[in-house]
Amino acid sequence: MGWIKVITKESLLVAQREDLRKIMDLLEVSEKHARTLLIHHRWDADSLLAVFLEKERDRLLSEAGVTIVEPNVLAPLQSSQVTCNICNEDVSADAVTTMDCGHWFCNNCWTEHFIVKINDGQSRRIRCMFYKCNTICDEAIIRNLVSPKHPDLAERFDRFLLESYIEDNHKVKWCPSIPHCGNAIRVDGDGYCEVECSCGLQFCFSCSAEAHSPCSCLMWELWVKKCRDESETVNWITVNTKPCPRCHKPVEKNGGCNHVRCICGQDFCWLCGCAADQHHARSSCGSYKEEREKKTGQAKRDLYRYMHYYNRYKAHTDSLKLESKLKKTIQDMETISDSKEFSIKDFSWLTNGLYRLFRSRRVLSYSYPFAFYMFGDDLFKDEMTPVERELKQHLFEDLQQQLGANVEKLSHFIEESFEEFLHVDKILGIRMQVINLSALIDNLCKKMYEFIENDLLGRLERVTHNIAPYESKGVERASELSDSWDSDDSLSMKTCNVDSYLQWDSSANGAGSSESESPTDDSFYESSSPDESGCSSRKRAKKEALDDPPFNLNLPAEGFDKN
Amino acid sequence: MATKRIQKELQDLQRDPPISCSAGPVGEDLFHWQATIMGPTESPFAGGVFFVMIHFPPDYPFKPPKVNFQTKVYHPNINSNGSICLDILKEQWSPALTISKVLLSICSLLTDPNPDDPLVPEIAHVYKSQRNRYEETARAWTQKYAMN
Repeated sequence: MGWIKVITKESLLVAQREDLRKIMDLLEVSEKHARTLLIHHRWDADSLLAVFLEKERDRLLSEAGVTIVEPNVLAPLQSSQVTCNICNEDVSADAVTTMDCGHWFCNNCWTEHFIVKINDGQSRRIRCMFYKCNTICDEAIIRNLVSPKHPDLAERFDRFLLESYIEDNHKVKWCPSIPHCGNAIRVDGDGYCEVECSCGLQFCFSCSAEAHSPCSCLMWELWVKKCRDESETVNWITVNTKPCPRCHKPVEKNGGCNHVRCICGQDFCWLCGCAADQHHARSSCGSYKEEREKKTGQAKRDLYRYMHYYNRYKAHTDSLKLESKLKKTIQDMETISDSKEFSIKDFSWLTNGLYRLFRSRRVLSYSYPFAFYMFGDDLFKDEMTPVERELKQHLFEDLQQQLGANVEKLSHFIEESFEEFLHVDKILGIRMQVINLSALIDNLCKKMYEFIENDLLGRLERVTHNIAPYESKGVERASELSDSWDSDDSLSMKTCNVDSYLQWDSSANGAGSSESESPTDDSFYESSSPDESGCSSRKRAKKEALDDPPFNLNLPAEGFDKN
Repeated sequence: MATKRIQKELQDLQRDPPISCSAGPVGEDLFHWQATIMGPTESPFAGGVFFVMIHFPPDYPFKPPKVNFQTKVYHPNINSNGSICLDILKEQWSPALTISKVLLSICSLLTDPNPDDPLVPEIAHVYKSQRNRYEETARAWTQKYAMN
């Protein structure tokens, strides 16, 4: 836990600075050079440092386009009037800018060059104009030259630099929420995992699709495509109602449990449509019976095979949707039990049971597309002998059936607890059942994953399929990034958000005389070591933001506490 | 800015023309030039005169000029539309480069093709595996299309 962080618009700068600081300290470079290095190495500080240990520091820097010059090397231009090599205009020496590499051109040409590059979306690596010069232009110079005439482009440049941390970083992904919540997620560990953004969306970090474990990303991609392609064929076959096996009237399911009773009194199983007693789910309705379709052609067999898995997948997904509504009911129950004189006050067992139901229902639901590909010919035709496949399929289906039966039982008891919750004698019995079943189901899920990881996917020889591991506590919710910053002494950074950074930056560049503004500018962007000047300018940035009423609204709440 | 810079390049070309090429505006439009390149003597293009069209973008020299062959050339890096695959006309363009330098680069590309980054893979394959056949074909094309 703690490996997964959410990066909000506000904490993006903090997240970047964490890595920048690391590189600045270890390589003794300024912030702008650390950024250039990290962008070149796709924000992988560890691999950058590994390269540093292998190569000389100078080579590492020059490959990334960082040129560090001694101040005296950049001698001022001799004459007061010089000719720019690009536009051929004669300009005064103070209208000329020399880059770190020593190449100088007039400010107009530099500005044009920056505008073209920013417009081309190349803000992250704007190189010197000299032919074959690899040096990356100083970000402060770019800001200063572009912002007076084109504040919007300067802002875009800054945003590109900031967002490079997300776009060019394999440890960070945008949350795929629609409409977009503005957050990104950072995972410092195995990328094969499922995460929950602070906006509530759960997704697979590896492929950014919805969480789909125990399906691998490829299985899920194929499954989604197949469901889309087959949907029209299946639509008219798989209707939202199912005929009662006795009276043949269409029956609509109104709860999560797959054990359904028609108004005629007939019990039947929603999964296979057979008449059933209470214990039906234990029997073999989850296993696919090939022989039934032997007479039909291959295409029809394939469709039936797909429909078998699709129907079960959809039934469990639909159950999950219906069961999700129970969350609200629990809250209502707690309110009622609070207000009345009622012996049971603690409903945590029910909440826990309900969450266990959600998680295991999901595993169960996704276990069907998994089985569709695992034991089908699409992906692993030559990985297993027919005998081996049959054996493993039976073992898997056995696990699936055990899990399925107990999930239905749990669903049944949870639904019953809502009906009976005023009868204390009954509710205590139900409570026992829910607690026991929850533990059992957790164990069954673990067993299923062990079987998948060790005996199925782990045995593949030709291909590798990674899945997000089973999490007993459910998908990990990304924690706020700033939590990890409490130990750091430069607390002021926590409160620096993107807006105040940009606002402060453009106001510094846009207004006032350049003479009075430039020292502040330099200390902000070029603090070559974590010294006082660097810190104080950041504090100033925050203070200015606080003085400015509209910006108070954008600062994170804790910014005021720390102030 | 572009106009002044293009005028300066034109002056320089007229004052000090490169040995194997010449260039200038087609008509009144300063942003539309035509250039001629003499096939380099040490290449199968020797003796040929190749016409090249040059279009300057409005934000020249911060964006590269668009350069196309008008004469058919049998070359791994030049296709049948006359498009040229040359790094300095794309990502390696620098505002410090000039048309004169571009034309000289094209001359050296004619002498030394870059078959590892081909625009026409078939020609690159012939160039790599049957150099004689490549030179023969290139000479025949030069004869047919670049000599009058």
